Amino acid sequence: MSRALRILAGLAFALLCLAPIAVMATRVGAGDFERLFTERTLGLLSRTLTLGAAATTIAVLVGAPFGFLLSRTDVPGAALMRPLGIVPLVLPPLFLAITWTALFELRGPWATAIVLGVNTFPLVALFTAKAASRVDARREEAALLAGGLGAALRMELPLLLPGVLTGAALAFAFTVNDWSVPDYVSSVGPKFNVYADEIFANWKLEANTGKAVVTAIPLVVVTLAALLPALALRRKGALATLDGDFQRPAPLRLGRLRWVAFAFCLSVVLFCVLGPIARLTYEAGGGGRSFSFAGVVTAMRETLDYERDFLANSLIWSAAAATLALPVALVLAHWIERTRGGRWTEPLILLPVAVPAILFGIGTINLWNHDWSAAVYDGNAMILLLYLGRFLAFPVLVLSGAVAALDPRLEEAGELAGVGPLRRLTRLVAPPLRPSMVGGWVMVFVFAMRELDAAVLVPAANHTVIFKAYNRIHFARDDAVAALCLLILFFLVLPGLLWSLFAREKLEVLP
Amino acid sequence: MMKRLPRRSLSPSLPALALLSIALPALACTLLTGCSSDGDGDPVREVVLYCAHDQVHAEPLVREFERKTGIKVRAEYDIEAHKTVGLVRRIREEQGRPRCDVFWNNEVAHTVSLASDGLLAAYDSPSAADIPAQFRDPERRWTGFGARARVFIVNTDRLGDRAAPDGMWDLVDPAWKADCGMARPLTGTTLTHVAALYTVLGEERTREYLDGLRANEVHLTSGNATLMRQVRESNFTWGWTDTDDYWVAKSDPNGYAVDAVFPDGGPDGVGTLLIPNTVAILANAPHPDEARALVDYLLTAEFEAKLADSRSAQIPVHESLKGRPHVLPLDGVKWMEVDYAEVGAVIDERFEELKEMFLD
Repeated sequence: MSRALRILAGLAFALLCLAPIAVMATRVGAGDFERLFTERTLGLLSRTLTLGAAATTIAVLVGAPFGFLLSRTDVPGAALMRPLGIVPLVLPPLFLAITWTALFELRGPWATAIVLGVNTFPLVALFTAKAASRVDARREEAALLAGGLGAALRMELPLLLPGVLTGAALAFAFTVNDWSVPDYVSSVGPKFNVYADEIFANWKLEANTGKAVVTAIPLVVVTLAALLPALALRRKGALATLDGDFQRPAPLRLGRLRWVAFAFCLSVVLFCVLGPIARLTYEAGGGGRSFSFAGVVTAMRETLDYERDFLANSLIWSAAAATLALPVALVLAHWIERTRGGRWTEPLILLPVAVPAILFGIGTINLWNHDWSAAVYDGNAMILLLYLGRFLAFPVLVLSGAVAALDPRLEEAGELAGVGPLRRLTRLVAPPLRPSMVGGWVMVFVFAMRELDAAVLVPAANHTVIFKAYNRIHFARDDAVAALCLLILFFLVLPGLLWSLFAREKLEVLP
Repeated sequence: MMKRLPRRSLSPSLPALALLSIALPALACTLLTGCSSDGDGDPVREVVLYCAHDQVHAEPLVREFERKTGIKVRAEYDIEAHKTVGLVRRIREEQGRPRCDVFWNNEVAHTVSLASDGLLAAYDSPSAADIPAQFRDPERRWTGFGARARVFIVNTDRLGDRAAPDGMWDLVDPAWKADCGMARPLTGTTLTHVAALYTVLGEERTREYLDGLRANEVHLTSGNATLMRQVRESNFTWGWTDTDDYWVAKSDPNGYAVDAVFPDGGPDGVGTLLIPNTVAILANAPHPDEARALVDYLLTAEFEAKLADSRSAQIPVHESLKGRPHVLPLDGVKWMEVDYAEVGAVIDERFEELKEMFLD
């Protein structure tokens, strides 16, 4: 690929994604490391890791069978349940916390683990499904002939394991960093603290800035320790390159067990997707006091009228960030996969996702709030830079996985035919990656629509719909909050829904 | 047959790409930033307000200022979960090039801290002439208005025939073991409250009190609104909260059985703590004239009366509004005598200690 392109993409990544972190690192002094680990902070860290492990266990117990059954078996209704199963991942975890604590008398750490498990099980399901779809048909048929369904499942389990573990590692990384769910669940029951409380508390005092940065290090290390093996595992499992003569397997016939499998999958969809949506609809319609479907329509219409501008802002900025991210991500992804040593840059790619959002937001302020960049900082462009910095890693990883699965001989042939680097990238590499490019776009869009903790620190974020939603949760009526949550949910799933309805190719969102 | 690709390479040159990479973001910035002007092409007068008061209460009042003066207010609010920390941190991080003109804080301690770090400008607003000295910085870097009081919210159904608590030491009374609560004193007005206790009771008595809270298994919640909900739902009988949270429960159409107690009114009691909103102009504010106009507006008795009548039921501090009817039973309340500047300083000194005690 063109060296100029690589340099520009690398500079963009360094400026948007790494510079805010570097700026904050300069504020750390040697004394800030004192008392980083005390009995109290280790206790908080231990509780956070336990919470992450519990949530991940739930995600695996639900996600692995769910992903396998819907992707590889003849369970009835799979085509409908597959996309529905992704919805919890798209939702802000706080929305799930609100609905689950309203639906069930669940409180405390267990409630938090369950909500986070529900939020992240689609990650395990997606990777499991992907790995399961890469089992060669001939191998499966041989196992079926030799020992029936049991033998086929025993043969497939080791092949699925890397996919399951990749999803589990990602789920763990997401859950240990989440603060909104423990905070909300604590607000409706007994308070319990997690390590993110310590990080947030240290931002209160001006004198603590260096310490606040240092406090984040253990969680960053834990996150990277989970993510890096996940990236390595995906190459062995879900995204392993297929042989040229790979044969796609037919759905496994479960016999009468298909109805048991159906009951399981339907329960997951009911509890994790339809239940929360139904609860939000119920609240939007007036709840226990005066529920009516007319009330739902009225609440939705009023909310749309009231929040129209904020919704439009969020949609425009999130879509713009996703669109701008794609070309940079494509170049970086190609660089990672096609350059010797490129894969060693993956920890750097992951860093903006691994650092706490508040640290990244403050770093962004420090980087851009100068006279020469005042027009950017004071205006709406700032939020684009922030979204790009925080979420560029997602399309890079999605696309690097896709590039890895692409036969390099095509590009070599193009080069021999005298096709230039840019044209090779746009005409030979990009077209077969279209599902992954759209998947990467959707990921940036969804995460940008959901982003609050870092974005709230920059001026334009006050005018996003997620900001309004969080403040409504604390101060508005339940019907108005529920109506806004439903509206946001609709727009979060809309791009994926439209693609599923009108495109012939499947959306690829796996890194 | 495979279609032949044209031989001519479109490999971009570095200068061309560099030009593109500058031109595109510049275009995006132009489109996304713009500049504001009125219909005649004159620049619109504007002021940037950072507001920690609840958006739902503050927004309509700010719009009224816009209508009256024609000055556009670019108001930016905090989220509840950040409890002022987000805006204060932004002010600190932006100090090299301040963007905010006016900071409307919903408490006093962080404002004092900003003032002592030289981030606020002095302004003696004529609207504040009849605000008592207790609520004004001697150097006029901030002014207090529209206060909240720290009260007990009591669930009268759960209380039954028992006598209601009437003082802060009831929280450490074994009679109320595990049946009362307060927010963790690490954020918001509860942090300010505990800092105020350090200044009024002294270190030893305050430590004794805080240790007593743990020993008496006081429920520690994530915030005052949470505590209000827990008492409202009868999870325990009573606890510290702010008057605005109490009034949200009291005025709810569901008719919750709650009452407020203004504690420590006896001869030996320390009194009820008032925590005012505070307003300040930032040092080197980019729109100083408009900032002064906004501060003058926020500090009028008329504005304070509107805050008092709003759902947040703020308590007026203007002398001219004394005796004015209020939804809260304010008659005869003994207020805590406290030096807010000292309280602000105590937070910085004591925060680590409080974290060790309450963040585990």
